[in-house]
Amino acid sequence: MAEIITVTSGKGGVGKSTTTANVATALALEGKKVIAIDFDIGLRNLDMILGLENRIVYDVVDVMEGRCNFAQAVIKDKRTPNLHFLPASQTKDKTILNKEKVEKLINDLKKDFDYIFVDSPAGIESGFEHSIYLADRALVVTTPEISAVRDADRVIGIIDAKSKKAKEGQEVSKHIIINRLKPELVEKGEMLSTEDVLHILALPLIGIVPDDEEIVKSTNLGEPIALDKNSRVGEAFRRIAKRIEGEDMEYLDISAKKGFFNKLKGLFK
Amino acid sequence: MSFFDIFKKKKSKDVAKDRLMMMLAYERANTKIDNLDNMKQELISVVKKYLNVRDINIKTSSNQDIETLEVEILLDK
Repeated sequence: MAEIITVTSGKGGVGKSTTTANVATALALEGKKVIAIDFDIGLRNLDMILGLENRIVYDVVDVMEGRCNFAQAVIKDKRTPNLHFLPASQTKDKTILNKEKVEKLINDLKKDFDYIFVDSPAGIESGFEHSIYLADRALVVTTPEISAVRDADRVIGIIDAKSKKAKEGQEVSKHIIINRLKPELVEKGEMLSTEDVLHILALPLIGIVPDDEEIVKSTNLGEPIALDKNSRVGEAFRRIAKRIEGEDMEYLDISAKKGFFNKLKGLFK
Repeated sequence: MSFFDIFKKKKSKDVAKDRLMMMLAYERANTKIDNLDNMKQELISVVKKYLNVRDINIKTSSNQDIETLEVEILLDK
């Protein structure tokens, strides 16, 4: 039976789809059978980040409405054989999802996959509520900025109130991913640190992803950076995948890169 | 050292953290009550049976250890 993992954030533009694409890719590389579903109806993006936009024929709403069957809509990633993708629909009516249909779709998929990733839309409207409703686990993505942290807190409260598990008296497991951390700024005291964010949100950490220009390139190319064995950001995402599988992984050393003189100073300390 | 130097030394991330904690203490408490307006109306109707009420203000706040609900009932003079 699949674990349903919703990737959410509240605020837009903090890296939800990038996180979904990369963690799902990393788990598929580990041999797990993974499907990523884009729930951002009307504003789909996960297709481009995964580099699968040219292969879309049907979308998630077509499947739910019975206009096609699941096998016709699902896209298998050729680079990562265990990774499957179900795109969001481009319809303007974002209220098109309904709870029963979402539940049926996800329950039908549960037996065929190890992990079902749901990429939630930004905001806290109905699309977001559908995306968290069935979650077993929520990955709350935030950047170390006040607006992102504030929205993350808001979203955590809503998950606790509106998810099916919460309504049944169980708890959705929730973890924080801190994205785009800039170690140089943190060291200068000009950016919230990992500890600050965790202290405020009072939830366990599952990943720290350093800010890096590499990610821009990978998005341009439509190749998730988790596929790049030599990438530091890719490694950060691969470690998140391992932690989801229950492995106790060390956190990457992302302290500020030291210049020559600082290194020299370090030697004499 | 003047009084204002204390503030100058504060790093911008500390200011950010303080602002966030203040804001969230307020917001978290408010999202706890789903139907604040209904509760207010019901409270008014109960108190009205015994006293002349002008208005009711409900405030919530929380810190690390406790959460409180402050109900202020304004009476007609």
